[in-house]
Amino acid sequence: MKINAGNLKKGDFILYQNEIWQVQKAEFYAPGKGAALMKAKIWNVKTSKNIDITFKSGEEVEVVEVESRLMVFLYKDNENLYFMDEKTFNQYSVPLTAVSGLEKYLKEGEKLYVYIFNDVPLSVRPPLSVRLKVVKAEEAVKGDTVSSAKKPVTLETGAVIMAPLFIKEGDILIVNPETGEYTGREGK
Amino acid sequence: MKIKVNFSNLKNHQNFLFIIRLIEEFLQKKGYLKIDLPVLSPTLIPESYLEVFETDFRYFDKREKLYLTPSPELFLKRLLVEGIGSCYYLGKSFRNSDPPSSLHSFEFTMLEFYKVKANYMDIADELLEILRYINKKLKTQNSKLKTKTKNQKLKNQNLKLSFDKWEKISVAEAFEKYADIFEKELFDHQLFLQKARKKGYQVEKFSYEEVWSQIYVSEIEPHLGKNGYPTLIYDYPKEFAALAKLNPDGKTAQRFEFYINGIELGDCYTELADWKEQEERFLKEDKQRKKLGKINHPIDKGFIQALKYGLPDCAGIAIGVERLAMVFLGFDSIDKLKVIDIIL
Repeated sequence: MKINAGNLKKGDFILYQNEIWQVQKAEFYAPGKGAALMKAKIWNVKTSKNIDITFKSGEEVEVVEVESRLMVFLYKDNENLYFMDEKTFNQYSVPLTAVSGLEKYLKEGEKLYVYIFNDVPLSVRPPLSVRLKVVKAEEAVKGDTVSSAKKPVTLETGAVIMAPLFIKEGDILIVNPETGEYTGREGK
Repeated sequence: MKIKVNFSNLKNHQNFLFIIRLIEEFLQKKGYLKIDLPVLSPTLIPESYLEVFETDFRYFDKREKLYLTPSPELFLKRLLVEGIGSCYYLGKSFRNSDPPSSLHSFEFTMLEFYKVKANYMDIADELLEILRYINKKLKTQNSKLKTKTKNQKLKNQNLKLSFDKWEKISVAEAFEKYADIFEKELFDHQLFLQKARKKGYQVEKFSYEEVWSQIYVSEIEPHLGKNGYPTLIYDYPKEFAALAKLNPDGKTAQRFEFYINGIELGDCYTELADWKEQEERFLKEDKQRKKLGKINHPIDKGFIQALKYGLPDCAGIAIGVERLAMVFLGFDSIDKLKVIDIIL
């Protein structure tokens, strides 16, 4: 389906230079000379690369219908992440290159949305946050009172992130899986 | 749309107002006269690339159309004709149809100043001094705050720029350097569109101006103001002359824009004083507005009358003050400066 680039919005999948991209950001831009444009940041579902492009607001863009299907994350190896569709029991693999580090924060058995186009899995929709247990955390150095100080902690998936000094082993942290940033601790 | 209160931005907002104070301090020291102006006007300068806000004034059973001014130019030039001399307006301007974004708000603070007996490059010199002044004052302010915690310091350390000079580049040089489009192709519509098509741009059904803007935004702008100095890009094709005087080459206009970190901050012209040429450009712009289905506001005929009387040699610049403050304070969005924001 072709749409006017002026109507592009975040989350849309488009066909650009024969590849499928997801719109990460689309901003109307009026340069003050000449007509208005749409400035977009698009994400390649295959390579997980971001690029900036510009469309004339009257330009037509091919939008593709990509389905997002809830699946269970089974396991990963050096090349792929493996998922199962709980309704059909079909298994799908998503290449690691398409998820750009997201795999470090995924627990087996977790349910995630997988992007599917023509029954081919393309990528995984990153969850807004994940909850992961701390398996290793050094004691904070006494006397260190700077409130913004952080220390490295190891999570149950093996990922190491920076967390506040008060975090202890066994705590459940809330992490942004796209950036690996600590965003909070689950209340006990 | 709704009203959003961002009370945690209060400190940023105060810094934004501090920058406004610095600008005014500088201009007044230099002898520019401050003028306050209406923001509602019954006529406007026709500009095809922007949309305006329309409202009406009602009394008994009568109604009169009024428009929010997208720039104070129509008023300031009347005063220049009267002989006011170098002057400025620092206040609200309004542009419709552009959804709020990190760099744009439909209601924004504009600084517009005019210098008499000057051309666009004289304004460039003055502007560099203003930038230097803001930078220096912010630094002094910072060292005064050094004893306090880091968070309270102004954030302009992110700006690793020197204001000792401009990086000056003409539009033709920039197209050759960054987009591999040569001067011969740049000014010839047919050659330009051919080259654009080769580069992979959609050109069918689009005008020279539309494709030109797209290439400018995609391939030129991202490089500007990133080489250690603010960039001044000058001499735009005559198609983008707007209210600027043409150069003797007949192909370019005496217009410049300036950039820091890829962000356009201001737009300057040596002002066109030839009323006949200005009237022709107005009619063309008005026709284009009608074609695009934009709000059909009356053309400001009084403006042409004023030019007939005689505009002194002068140059002027319009600067988006939120953007300027955002860059100096190291933010990535103008919303960070607002305590009250209208959002979609």
